[in-house]
Amino acid sequence: MGSKVIYLHKLGRMPYLAAWELQKRIAMQVMNNIRCGREPGHRLLLVEHDPVYTTGLRKDDYTPEVEAELRQTGADFYRTNRGGLITFHGPGQLTAYPILHLKSFSPGIKWYVCALERTVIRTLRVLGITAQTSPHTGVWVGDNKICALGLQGRHVTTHGLGLNCNTDLQWFDHIVPCGIPDKGVTSVTRELGREVTIQEVEPHFLEAFSEIFNCKVVMSQPDFDEAKGIPSHHV
Amino acid sequence: MQQLGERRVGRHTTVSVCRDSTMARVLLSTVRSYTPKLSALQLPRSACAWKNTAKHFSTTHRQLSNYKYTEKHEWVAVDGNIGTIGITNYAQEALGDIVYAQLPEVDTQYEQMEECGALESVKAASELYCPVSGKVTEINAAVEDQPSLINKSCYEEGWLFKLELTVPSEIDELMDEAAYEKFLKESEE
Repeated sequence: MGSKVIYLHKLGRMPYLAAWELQKRIAMQVMNNIRCGREPGHRLLLVEHDPVYTTGLRKDDYTPEVEAELRQTGADFYRTNRGGLITFHGPGQLTAYPILHLKSFSPGIKWYVCALERTVIRTLRVLGITAQTSPHTGVWVGDNKICALGLQGRHVTTHGLGLNCNTDLQWFDHIVPCGIPDKGVTSVTRELGREVTIQEVEPHFLEAFSEIFNCKVVMSQPDFDEAKGIPSHHV
Repeated sequence: MQQLGERRVGRHTTVSVCRDSTMARVLLSTVRSYTPKLSALQLPRSACAWKNTAKHFSTTHRQLSNYKYTEKHEWVAVDGNIGTIGITNYAQEALGDIVYAQLPEVDTQYEQMEECGALESVKAASELYCPVSGKVTEINAAVEDQPSLINKSCYEEGWLFKLELTVPSEIDELMDEAAYEKFLKESEE
């Protein structure tokens, strides 16, 4: 294993906005650590959201009317600063937000996207699913996307990926996922023909992440510093 | 080393284009002695960089001596009190195909190194930093319509925005072409 350490936070069910605010705070902390020559303190947040649709930078594609329609489904809706188009997060989807100082690994965004895709492909292979990349960023099983990616950050990354474990795929019927028509979505449960939860997928994901990113994933302390909203294992 | 062809770049100068970045550098330095205007060209790093190199040679009348660079791989070209800003070849290569440019709004004021926009590629949004303090006077609508211009012509048609400098002395602190090249080499190590 490489000498790089990533602190893991398993946050369980968490509202989307709170998770995004936390990522931004952690990202600033990592930036400060780098500036002051300290250990970066890279982190990996694993969360599960209540149903929510999110858009990226190209938010003009989604008008207030579209937003209202989607809110009618009972889901929440947020416009974010990540790359990628509209997607859905919800119960049964392993949502991972790596907050990494990219230069500590490899300075390129292209490398990072590829590394995340490879991590997911390796995770799925262990579970018995053959997945691929395509010209459309994300991880696919044939014409169906099983994991969406949407990232932000040239120096320290935020946002991340959503891997459908036993997500209710009907939520995706209301959108053109990631703006790609004529393609569908799928999940680990659908591909294997049996119920597969986030809990079953998680350890394989963490192992693949550790291998591909050549780092040690270390469990962070579960207690939060409520005032700062930053997990206590900050360096 | 495979020679891919020759390209006439001026009345007295031809460049042999080779699929070898080291040899391309040697040939370029020879060419430079005959074409001082081109001496400030940024050398791309990748093995397939000869394509970009040929493109740079084919552009004319660009006053390269007034380009300054930042550690965030952005450039500023100053004309009077107006600075034109863009990203460098290193940056556009690192990003890959740019599909969206979120540019700052006209009349907004920024401090040096303040985040002022973003570029999207491969589902990743990369922040833009304002290299010098100033007030945005113009944005490049062409790049909003056709973000790939940034990849194809990052120093010319792919410029991002212009601003009126509020602290002109900041320009002096930025890197010139030689310093930026050195910075790139050191980053590689």
